[in-house]
Amino acid sequence: MVTGQFVRKLGAAATAMLALMPAFASAQEIGKGHPEPGQFHLQQSVTPIMDSIVAFHDGPLMWTITLIVLFVLALLIVIVLRFNAKANPVPARFTHNTLIEVIWTVLPIVVLIIIAIPSFGVLSDQLTVPDGERKFLGANIFSFGEVEVPAASLTIKASGEQWYWNYEYVDEGVAFDSNILGSAVDSYHQTIKPNQPRLLAVDNELIVPVDTTVRMQVTSSPSGVIHAFAVPSFGIKIDAVPGRLNETWFNSRETGLFYGQCSELCGKDHAFMPIAVRVVTAEEYQAFITAFKESRDYASAVAVLPAIQ
Amino acid sequence: MAAIEKNHDYHMVEPSPWPFVMSAAVLVMMVGAVFFMKQWTPWLFFIGLAGVIYTFYAWWADVVKEANDGVSHTPVVQMHHRYGMILFIASEVMFFVAWFWAYFDGFFRFDDVEQYARVAFTGGHWPPAGIELFDPFHLPLFNTLILLTSGTTVTWAHHALLENDRQGLRWGLALTVALGVLFSYVQFLEYTHAGFSFSGNLYGATFFMATGFHGFHVIIGTIFLLVCLIRAERGDFTPQRHLGFEFAAWYWHFVDVVWLFLFASIYVWGSWGVATH
Amino acid sequence: MSEAAHLEAHATGHDHAAHDHHTPTGWRRWVLSTNHKDIGIMYLVFSIVAGIVGGLLSGFMRMELQEPGIQIFHGLASMVYGISDPSGSIDAGKQMFNVFTTAHALIMVFFMVMPATMGGFANYFAPLMVGAPDTAFPRINNIAFWLLPVAFILLLMSLFFEGASGTTGFGGGWTVYPPLSTVGHPGPAMDFAILSLHVAGVSSILGAINLITTILNMRAPGMTIHKMPLFAWSVLVTAFLLLLALPVLAGAITMLLTDRNFGTTFFAPEGGGDPVLFQHLFWFFGHPEVYIMILPGFGIVSHIVSTFSRKPIFGYMAMAYAMVAIGFVGFVVWAHHMYTTGMSLDVQRYFVAATMVIAVPTGVKIFSWIATMWGGSITFRLPMLWAIGFIFLFTVGGVTGVVLANAGADRALHDTYYVVAHFHYVLSLGAVFSIFAGWYYWYPKMFGYMYNELLGKLHFWTMFVGVNLIFFPQHFLGLAGMPRRYIDYPDAFTLWNRVSSIGYYVTFVAMLIFFYATWEASRKKRPAGDNPWGDGATTLEWTLSSPPPFHQFSTLPKIDSTNAH
Ligand code: HEA
Ligand code: HEA
Ligand code: CUA
Ligand SMILES: [Cu+2]
Repeated sequence: MVTGQFVRKLGAAATAMLALMPAFASAQEIGKGHPEPGQFHLQQSVTPIMDSIVAFHDGPLMWTITLIVLFVLALLIVIVLRFNAKANPVPARFTHNTLIEVIWTVLPIVVLIIIAIPSFGVLSDQLTVPDGERKFLGANIFSFGEVEVPAASLTIKASGEQWYWNYEYVDEGVAFDSNILGSAVDSYHQTIKPNQPRLLAVDNELIVPVDTTVRMQVTSSPSGVIHAFAVPSFGIKIDAVPGRLNETWFNSRETGLFYGQCSELCGKDHAFMPIAVRVVTAEEYQAFITAFKESRDYASAVAVLPAIQ
Repeated sequence: MAAIEKNHDYHMVEPSPWPFVMSAAVLVMMVGAVFFMKQWTPWLFFIGLAGVIYTFYAWWADVVKEANDGVSHTPVVQMHHRYGMILFIASEVMFFVAWFWAYFDGFFRFDDVEQYARVAFTGGHWPPAGIELFDPFHLPLFNTLILLTSGTTVTWAHHALLENDRQGLRWGLALTVALGVLFSYVQFLEYTHAGFSFSGNLYGATFFMATGFHGFHVIIGTIFLLVCLIRAERGDFTPQRHLGFEFAAWYWHFVDVVWLFLFASIYVWGSWGVATH
Repeated sequence: MSEAAHLEAHATGHDHAAHDHHTPTGWRRWVLSTNHKDIGIMYLVFSIVAGIVGGLLSGFMRMELQEPGIQIFHGLASMVYGISDPSGSIDAGKQMFNVFTTAHALIMVFFMVMPATMGGFANYFAPLMVGAPDTAFPRINNIAFWLLPVAFILLLMSLFFEGASGTTGFGGGWTVYPPLSTVGHPGPAMDFAILSLHVAGVSSILGAINLITTILNMRAPGMTIHKMPLFAWSVLVTAFLLLLALPVLAGAITMLLTDRNFGTTFFAPEGGGDPVLFQHLFWFFGHPEVYIMILPGFGIVSHIVSTFSRKPIFGYMAMAYAMVAIGFVGFVVWAHHMYTTGMSLDVQRYFVAATMVIAVPTGVKIFSWIATMWGGSITFRLPMLWAIGFIFLFTVGGVTGVVLANAGADRALHDTYYVVAHFHYVLSLGAVFSIFAGWYYWYPKMFGYMYNELLGKLHFWTMFVGVNLIFFPQHFLGLAGMPRRYIDYPDAFTLWNRVSSIGYYVTFVAMLIFFYATWEASRKKRPAGDNPWGDGATTLEWTLSSPPPFHQFSTLPKIDSTNAH
């Protein structure tokens, strides 16, 4: 379809333009899966969902809010310079101007609609578990979807406890606990795994295969409190509510370690129940899960994987 | 008393001890409430409560005095009171919104698939498994009729008052109070026959708290009407001036309307097609 | 208003002060007060005290967050609770940090901002502006005030009772979500906090009834609702929000109370309840609450902008009805705080759209203030600095709100410091700036003295730098993923946290300057005159003496058909 093509191209062009986001936001080199010192930008994306969040935030959102703030600031500066009592001793008396009032009502509406269009797309992607057919936006948030994502083939259930996570490979029937590395009590001066950041490193990482759509079911222990499962570089955050089974999904295109932190106040050790997801190759995952199912012992199963650098 | 010559009709109220005394009593009562709930001692709570009730009495006695002094409550001041009462009732309506909200959350979402704990609890139907509902057309209907009747008796009292028929006023009010007491009693009877408990289940929680707060308002309204009856006996209220009475009537109608909503939504709709006892 | 009415009002005002021999004196004047101005002053004093407490609590939080690791709270905990074993004191310290965060927020919201705007300024100036001799229900006015110290005492008591098992105080955040506020904190601390909110709520509802009645029914002859000054408008709208939103909170926290103490299961899943139900009820109150905190500020800023530009308000009707619109729409956007709770796609879409709508009437206000100044002859006196600061900083906070309104983006930002940055820009740099604007605008009227303008300007600039330093870097922390309500954070977040904490120290100095300036003004006693701001100040309070007589308007002012606002 001609029009479809045209709109798509227009969309791509618009996104390319918006990708020239306010220069400061992109100027920073940042690592993947964890924050870097001094970082002032969203974490690096490794999923189509986070791609769209980054594009949406750095594009339409940052542009509009920056320009609006600068516009208001500019007007205020003009006022200070031109309409101070010295420069303008006799005040005007006007109190109405229908045209301008209509403009400053209609223009924001237009801006908001322009924001809303990609916003709804980004949101819909997040809440739709891939079925293999549907196309996702990825970084091109003005498209009608151009990224293929395979249907979910692995289901993991994360349960928030006070104060650690329990992960279950639902189809395999195996589960393990994941605690902050070292006891939470002395985690502020403890020894950690080599090259793993303090307060993010855990004893047992959640292990998933790369390029695979993982369905995350998230809940909390029935008599517990609310937590939230969040991994910034995947673009996911979902509450773990007692009695509720919430769902989200991710598909990481890169291997590596990706950290997140509990994101709903859950009591004294809220700051000490990190999330660490280790994305490995499909073969490595197979080896791991086979060993895990056999031994039911996380430590020995994880030993089949290459050591973390 | 003040020698201020004022050229307006507003009531410049003299300094009053009651707001401060009431606040102090509220503090005692609230601290006492915690002690009570934690089973340390009930006494502090009751001392505070007594203070609160006494202060209500003393404060409103002042208001009644002003109402009867013939100068304080000018037409514009009476208008204030009308505004005040309507706004107060509006806030009460919003208070009930919270309880209805909680009820309808269970009612409409009893089989919400994400809420596995709730589905396990309700068994996938409403009312939840193991909950036996009231037959709405038994005691609840009776109580509805009581309240509706009391709505007419209070209107009778109002008309009587407007026509300076003191006997009609007395009997209308007395009947309304009696019906109010009867309602509370029947509600109490009903509670003792409940096929579910207050604690441990969402149905009981929403049912008892919604109807319970309504019942509490019935009691308040009954006391309000009783006070009007006493005032009427003392010769207060004239066909032209009887705001206290009017407010009691408004309040009573508000309580009535809340009941109609409770009756329609919780008793009737909530038990539609369900076996009851 | 007309010259005649001006003179008349003025004359009666002074007259009065001379003839009034029945002003109550001593403690009775204050404790038993039925005078809206005295009660207003008590509210302001209360607000300042609460602001000091809330500000100090945030100081401890910033000191803790200045470095990664746990710096001070274990020491603080062992000092306050007398714990000697180190790991015990660290655990107590972690809870204590959450307790401080919770108390900081509740104090700032319920005991600093609301008493200052709806208690202090609204009480003092709404009756003056509509030409009324007092409020409609003076005794109710007084109890609305006195219930606040009661609520405050209950909240402070909560800090010293058991919260979560084996710990002290309630540390579940100002949003008091269950189950953390039910099974998570079985001790009495939470019950005290709940009852504190009940009492504060009753106080606000009573205050709201009083103010609505005053504004609707006590306007001076000729003061039609469409001639009413915008501050009175803002108070009217805010009072309606209070009246309709607070009872829902009261219901919600009553459910918490019965869940905690009487075995109900509103929010307990094992009994069919749902923790998310509480969030709906809370935010149905909570979102209108944020407009409760800002709308009176809008009113204050409108007056100041007009006064110092010597120009009438631009677009008066649009300004008034924009506030009404914000109030209305504010009731139907609540679930934008709940995008991560697992709501369906359609529900989230609705709340995205509804929330963004609010930017439109708010934009109308921002641009109308700018248009009011446009063409004006502006003197940059102290209140004007705060007002212009407000307009700019509120815009910054408002646009980040629009970012958060988009559920798709909020996925990354929810419960991070980006949200903390957003709401402090609208609160600590929005609402608080408007409070200081009002304070310096009306100080001469309330106390009859003039402060030292230079000191005031020093206060403004120090605070401007300070709070921006605190809160701007928090956007970066949030974008990079730092969650809120954390006592400790990964080392990567150190830089911006340190800048933020330094910002606090600058703000602290600003507060010292504020107190010194206030003290200095009360010492030097420079008479302010009835109207220190010149012919730009057109509302009725400037026709009275400074301070106004104990009872003003014994003869009601008459407002003629010329512009009164
Ligand atoms: C005074 C208080 C106040 C005010 C006024 C606002 C105003 C707004 N807020 Fe904010 N907010 C809070 C206080 C406030 N907020 C608090 C306390 C929280 C956190 C609570 C907690 O979790 O503890 C919060 C959280 C919060 C969230 C939840 C975030 C999360 O937890 O994930 C959201 C999401 O939608 C939001 C949105 C908005 C929006 C859209 C506005 C709008 O009203 C802003 C409108 C203003 C403007 C947009 C600027 C001026 C307009 C123009 C110059 C016109 C042109 C503009 C455009 C076209 C965009 N706020
Ligand atoms: C009005 C509201 C308000 C105000 C003014 C402030 C002011 C400040 N806040 Fe706070 N804050 C909140 C409301 C507010 N805050 C809320 C709702 C939360 C969320 C809590 C939660 O997660 O549950 C929060 C959380 C919060 C956090 C996050 C904690 C966490 O997530 O763990 C932090 C961290 O830095 C912080 C810091 C500060 C600082 C440094 C100030 C400084 O600006 C303080 C400096 C002091 C002042 C500016 C006060 C001055 C005012 C007066 C002295 C009164 C003057 C009165 C008259 C003149 C009449 N606040
Ligand atoms: Cu678990 Cu916060
Ligand atoms: Cu909100």
